[in-house]
Amino acid sequence: MPIIEAIDLRKVFRRIVRQPGIGGAIGALFSREYEDKVAVDDVSFSLAEGELVGYLGPNGAGKSTTIKMLTGILVPTSGVLRVAGLVPYQRRQENAQNIGVVFGQRSQLYWDLPLRESFELLRSIYDVPLNRYQENMRHFAEILDLERFLDTPVRQLSLGERMRGDFAAAMLHDPKIVYLDEPTIGLDVVAKEAIRVFIAQINRERGTTVILTTHDLADVERLTPRIVLIDHGKVIYDGALERLRTEYGTHRVLVVTTVDPVPDDFAVPGAEVESREPYVVRLGFDRRTLTAEALIRRVLERYAISDVSIIEPDIDTIVRRIYLEGYQQNAVGAPS
Amino acid sequence: MTGTVPRRPRFRIQPYIEFAKKAMAREGTYRFDVFTTVGSFVVRLYLLRMVWTALYAHNAAPVDLSRHEIITYSAVALLMGIVMDIDQTRALHDKLHDGSIATDFMKPIIVPLYFFADGTGEVLFHAALLIPSILIALLIFNIIVPPPMVLAAFFVSFLLGYLVGFFLNFILNCTAFWTLEISAVQLIVTWLTDLLGGELIPLILFPAFLQQFIYALPFAAMFSTPLLIYVRQIPPARYLEVMGLQVAWIVVLGIVSTVMWRAGARRVVVQGG
Repeated sequence: MPIIEAIDLRKVFRRIVRQPGIGGAIGALFSREYEDKVAVDDVSFSLAEGELVGYLGPNGAGKSTTIKMLTGILVPTSGVLRVAGLVPYQRRQENAQNIGVVFGQRSQLYWDLPLRESFELLRSIYDVPLNRYQENMRHFAEILDLERFLDTPVRQLSLGERMRGDFAAAMLHDPKIVYLDEPTIGLDVVAKEAIRVFIAQINRERGTTVILTTHDLADVERLTPRIVLIDHGKVIYDGALERLRTEYGTHRVLVVTTVDPVPDDFAVPGAEVESREPYVVRLGFDRRTLTAEALIRRVLERYAISDVSIIEPDIDTIVRRIYLEGYQQNAVGAPS
Repeated sequence: MTGTVPRRPRFRIQPYIEFAKKAMAREGTYRFDVFTTVGSFVVRLYLLRMVWTALYAHNAAPVDLSRHEIITYSAVALLMGIVMDIDQTRALHDKLHDGSIATDFMKPIIVPLYFFADGTGEVLFHAALLIPSILIALLIFNIIVPPPMVLAAFFVSFLLGYLVGFFLNFILNCTAFWTLEISAVQLIVTWLTDLLGGELIPLILFPAFLQQFIYALPFAAMFSTPLLIYVRQIPPARYLEVMGLQVAWIVVLGIVSTVMWRAGARRVVVQGG
């Protein structure tokens, strides 16, 4: 039985339409026109216990709205949602006991208090047994290197330190599930890596189920084989990251270095000239219609070259293309 | 949606005690307050004493309240004000404003009770700061100390007044669910409390027709009732009646608070803040 199950989950926000300017503001006091905005549009997915999934999508795609529904603070407009056997918004407090949440843009630590006191407060809130608390603290202090700033007020911490504190805070009560909403945003490379190691470790060693939203695809590549891609409130892809790469990343580039200056009418059938420098030309081609070997042969038949290399599509490019062009069903095949 | 019956987990008081303790610790970081509190108390009481002395010298005073009694009244009112004028639930407004209320809803806590605990911790800290001011009032201004029975009644009434003030503040801060900006309303309420609550001028000095109107408002239940008990303008025979009225205000404002909170929280959960 899946630990998280969403079936046709939908959230529609109703907003007052307001004309610009003072007139509009006054007008809005008298006549109310509403506009419905579908933030999450019949989203379905399920997660097995211990799974780690990357939940991706451009800004405003509906990621945070989904997370808020999972935490129980937003009531879905329609659809079914179960988290560890509970309907989150109906049993908000019990659900809260099962989950840990980290927001990259918002801390749940107590601003004026030293980090250690925030942890003690959380121990009381979640009723964590003392020995479990001490064990967790020892463990987290070690892998997140917290010891140095445990007694510093949170407002004086650097972003990287604060995030590490937030991670420990979210995990103190051994939640079954953690939601990580852009946890690496704004962090430097070293801090990012520390956070990724931590996520991988809690997932592997504690069997914690993790939903990770991020814009940094390196997070995903490093941590999870499975992604759910959402755009305009709809799930457009759910499956292996690798599959997305092989099936959707069909556009490759052959970089050719020529012996003679590249002629103006440089052309090879089946490929498109994407850029041209005095001695270097980039040829874009579709892997499905042309192999690299065949393309290289065609180039050799026409021009004298000294070097070739192939640029494989990276995941950033693939996802950017999907965001920009929309998702084409036939490019990937039916989403699982 | 599936029809599971909403069920509350076992209630534990400890987290709320911790919230109050942490609020005290947080306030403790602003140690300078100790001096400003005492300083402003002494200055304001000195000025009020000058005003009352001048008024009494010109026989502009009511018959049944001596000069010494009215200075006592002012001193106690100022001392009460130090804790009563704190907006304990300001945090609610702030958290609604910056959206951080969401993280509170993600914890296994009863959110309004968290605000109550946090605000009470803050108030208790400032109450502890009162001690030097109380000593000054007793030793330098030589204020009257009523018999223990009256004093006990005063403290009970003060506590009830605190709760009236708490709910009033809570309701004001709840309006931030809809307006996000409450400073104008709050300013008006502060003026009304100062004037109509009896903090500055005893309400018994107001014209009779105005008193009727003033006693129909909750502000008198905050300051005037405990203060008039202290200076023995309210006799023990009327304690039950006046404190009953305070309790009635607590119930009414408590109900309004609950309704406002539910509607506001619903707005957050439905509209996403």
